[in-house]
Amino acid sequence: MNDTEKQDTGKNLQDALNAKSDLISVTAHQLRTSLTAAKWILQMLLDKDTGNINTEQEDYLRKLFASNERMIALVTDMLALNHADDPIAVTGKQQIDIEKLLTEILFEFSGETRKKNITLSIQKSSSGPFSVEGDTGMVRVVFESVIENAIKYSNADGAVLISIEAKEDSAVCVAVHNTGLSIAESDKPHIFEKFFRTQEAKDREDFGSGLGLFIAHSMLSQHQGSLSFESSPENGTTFFITLPRS
Amino acid sequence: MKKILIVEDDIFLQGLEAGKLEKTGYEIISARNGTEALQKIHEPGVDLVLLDLILPDFDGFDILKKMRETKELEKIPVLVFSNLSEEKDVKRAKELGAVDFMVKSNFTLDELAMHIQAILK
Repeated sequence: MNDTEKQDTGKNLQDALNAKSDLISVTAHQLRTSLTAAKWILQMLLDKDTGNINTEQEDYLRKLFASNERMIALVTDMLALNHADDPIAVTGKQQIDIEKLLTEILFEFSGETRKKNITLSIQKSSSGPFSVEGDTGMVRVVFESVIENAIKYSNADGAVLISIEAKEDSAVCVAVHNTGLSIAESDKPHIFEKFFRTQEAKDREDFGSGLGLFIAHSMLSQHQGSLSFESSPENGTTFFITLPRS
Repeated sequence: MKKILIVEDDIFLQGLEAGKLEKTGYEIISARNGTEALQKIHEPGVDLVLLDLILPDFDGFDILKKMRETKELEKIPVLVFSNLSEEKDVKRAKELGAVDFMVKSNFTLDELAMHIQAILK
């Protein structure tokens, strides 16, 4: 294959990936619209806005609501996987200011934190700048997954603390700490496995696909970074996201 | 009574949003596309705009941009309420002055009403 043919092949591959990505984005948007309508109607029925329902009907509606929530979570993860599977994106690295990125992400979660009256704050354990090199979209997905979990598994009126620290000159470490649900010893080896969810997580939230941490772990591996955690009933759970400094 | 402009092209979702917010105690006016939204935003006394991003004629970002360029509209809070959630969309909405960005499918209507109440407090 000569250089021109190689360029054409590369362009065709990029076009195909873009088309696939666009198709998934549009499909996800349309799916979400229908799932939103179903969610709102089910909630109205459960709230008895349209009249009384008996216990059996309520039980069925709750199951349907939970099923719908699982679909919504799956669509969100499908969007994240869409990005993770794009080989072009992995090589498209940019300089990322982690502090700035985290501030933007907190803006996204203001609704979720207000819902549970959770305080979400950032603190710096060393002086910046906290700059890494990577695919901004992927790094964002990693932080979103970990922070979303921290909020989800915090008790109401709790706090999620995000600490940023420069590890010597070689890495930036972000710790996301929450009180509330901890991870049992027997579950710890499986936490980054695809579709794995702890029983406590299932009991607390009957939806979620078990893909979030798997995706985050995979994306960090592609960036020569790491994802680890500590968890105990006394101290809560802390996830550590480490990325090499640029 | 506080007045909310709902900009939403899906008539079914618009009806559900309006119904819940009216019950909560707000006066609601609605627009189903960008052109209509830009006319209604000039009605006196609009306290908040609930803005979808994908609209049939031009998108929600254009509306945000035009509002920020118009002196009498620039201070009206805009809550983006969309099923888009990509980084570039959230970032752009924030840069254009949205007070918040909520992904519709992640919230119930009660939660939306509480969120609006907190913004208008």
